[in-house]
Amino acid sequence: MKISFKNLAPWLGLLIGISISCLLALFFKESPIHIFKVLVTSFLNSKFDMGLTLFYTTCLIFSGLAFALPMKAGLFHIGSEGQILFSALIAAYIGSLVVPYDNSFSIIFSFIYVCMITLLSGALAALLLALFKLFRQAHEVVVAIMLNFVFAALTTWLTVNHLQNPESQNPETGLISPALRFLQNDFLKLYFDNSAVSSFLLVAILACFILGYLEKKTLIGYQIRAFGQNPQAAERIGISSKKILILSLGLAGVFSACVSLTEVFGNTFQYKIGFSPQYGFLGIAVALLARQNFVGIIGSAFLMACLHKGASDLDLETEFLTRDFSRVLQAVIIFSVAASYYAFSRKNTVNKKRKN
Amino acid sequence: MDSILVLLLLSTLRLTLPLFFAAMGGYFSEKSGVAQIALESYLLVGAFTAASVSFFSGSVIFGYISAAVVTALFAQIFCLLILKLKGNSIVIGTGMNLLAMGIIPIVSKSLFNSTGSTPSLELPTYNSWLPYIILIAVIFVSYWLSEKTIWGLQMKFAGEKKLALQSVGIDSITRQWQSLTYSAFITGLGGAVLSTALSSSYSPLMSAGRGFIALAALIFSGWNLTRSLFVCLFFGFCEALQIQLQSNQLISSYVAAEFIQMIPYAATLLALLLFKSKFSPPVELR
Repeated sequence: MKISFKNLAPWLGLLIGISISCLLALFFKESPIHIFKVLVTSFLNSKFDMGLTLFYTTCLIFSGLAFALPMKAGLFHIGSEGQILFSALIAAYIGSLVVPYDNSFSIIFSFIYVCMITLLSGALAALLLALFKLFRQAHEVVVAIMLNFVFAALTTWLTVNHLQNPESQNPETGLISPALRFLQNDFLKLYFDNSAVSSFLLVAILACFILGYLEKKTLIGYQIRAFGQNPQAAERIGISSKKILILSLGLAGVFSACVSLTEVFGNTFQYKIGFSPQYGFLGIAVALLARQNFVGIIGSAFLMACLHKGASDLDLETEFLTRDFSRVLQAVIIFSVAASYYAFSRKNTVNKKRKN
Repeated sequence: MDSILVLLLLSTLRLTLPLFFAAMGGYFSEKSGVAQIALESYLLVGAFTAASVSFFSGSVIFGYISAAVVTALFAQIFCLLILKLKGNSIVIGTGMNLLAMGIIPIVSKSLFNSTGSTPSLELPTYNSWLPYIILIAVIFVSYWLSEKTIWGLQMKFAGEKKLALQSVGIDSITRQWQSLTYSAFITGLGGAVLSTALSSSYSPLMSAGRGFIALAALIFSGWNLTRSLFVCLFFGFCEALQIQLQSNQLISSYVAAEFIQMIPYAATLLALLLFKSKFSPPVELR
């Protein structure tokens, strides 16, 4: 891969973003250097913390993919938060219903069965969005936000009124059936002192490479990119907009569902209300940082995971800054990365003109 | 039965107040050619500023003024990133929403030592007529600005055809910048209504998607100022209905609270589903 100034622009933007957020801390009478230290080094504290960071990385890779894929087709998909909640509830519910026999074939079969249903539910939730876009030309952002609210209310109602875990005071569903909790003994989880991380990390990394291959080397990847660059031209050469919309949003829903699989089958083995620290929105920053490059998402997801982990430690480490600082950090990073595209690419074109 | 109906109509009017302001704010931004999904953050910033300034100064009028000014200042980040640094307005708008959600608890923690609500205002500080007077004034000023002045025409041309504006020697970016600032100014007033007239303090995320609902209202109305106000009334009615239903014991024993709370959002979706908009957006909207 060629490393040019243009490819580095988002990373420079990231650096600027982190420094701005650290300087923001001055307003709240905190030392920027201390904040920076907490943000950057908190994932190194222990093996458990590293595992937690890798767990965030897994979720962020999936949610980053869920944003980046429709972005290739020119769609702003900010509805993954609702899809994550919906499919996580489905995963926890179906997971508790399915009780496999005591042999490995049955366990694997029922695991795949539950996964399939979860992925399907995520895809269906995302297809709602595609339907609005296709038949009503409604703005996908407005529809997505409304759907997020509806899904949040729906899952809360289902959890509290119908699926509440009777042994717990917290609003959460019961655990999934014991045989399906085999990821408790996952080798990654054991290595990181029973932290939240699980083998889904490997799935996430694999998914990035597969998508990178599909995008560059296959017809369908080319069609999605062509549609994103110029919808009118793409329609004229016979690329169906329906197909592109349904495919890209459906796949995005599948990746949103992967986030919930990671949570339900890799970490808590149940659905907890408020388990997601808005992974759907964190994914936007991840995808932007990688310039929608599928393989680059791995790196940017790890980086955002470290920052997210650091920001949630700020609660303990400082007096005034709370975990809400994570949102400020995301926002500033989104701003500086989005702005850096223009700021640095303009410099590039000016240089090129001079050369000519 | 009559009293319930009257109550419903009155609360419709009351609950539509912030939507009116937000929809007008959205109008001025979308008409000038900038897609505006940061209305939510403006409402939040306005609400928080109004609540805390009125608390410290003891005067709601001062709260309104400072809410509008602070929101307009906050919007300068949006303007700078979109107009000068050519960021994508949807991406930046999402970032603005995150920023507002993140920065308010931190400021609140250093002012009041709590990340939750601000301390509530005492009763005499909020006046029930003030928001209506401000609303009428803002509607008049907005209508006059957009329909009766040259500035309004130029602002709309920035959204419809930039080249035409440039060919008469006017910088379209300047018009967009002014329009976006005005948009944030009035949306901030809407936020102030939210925290000082509809309730007596700021509580976290109190805008509850109203910015997006206002945007949806604007889109239904076909980017038309007067029509959008009537569409807002419909959404306000849904919200009033929700609150009435929740307080009605007979109904809330049959229908879960979550479903009743869903009404405004579901109504937005339903409206998007049922009515296909025959209007087209401003040409240069992006």
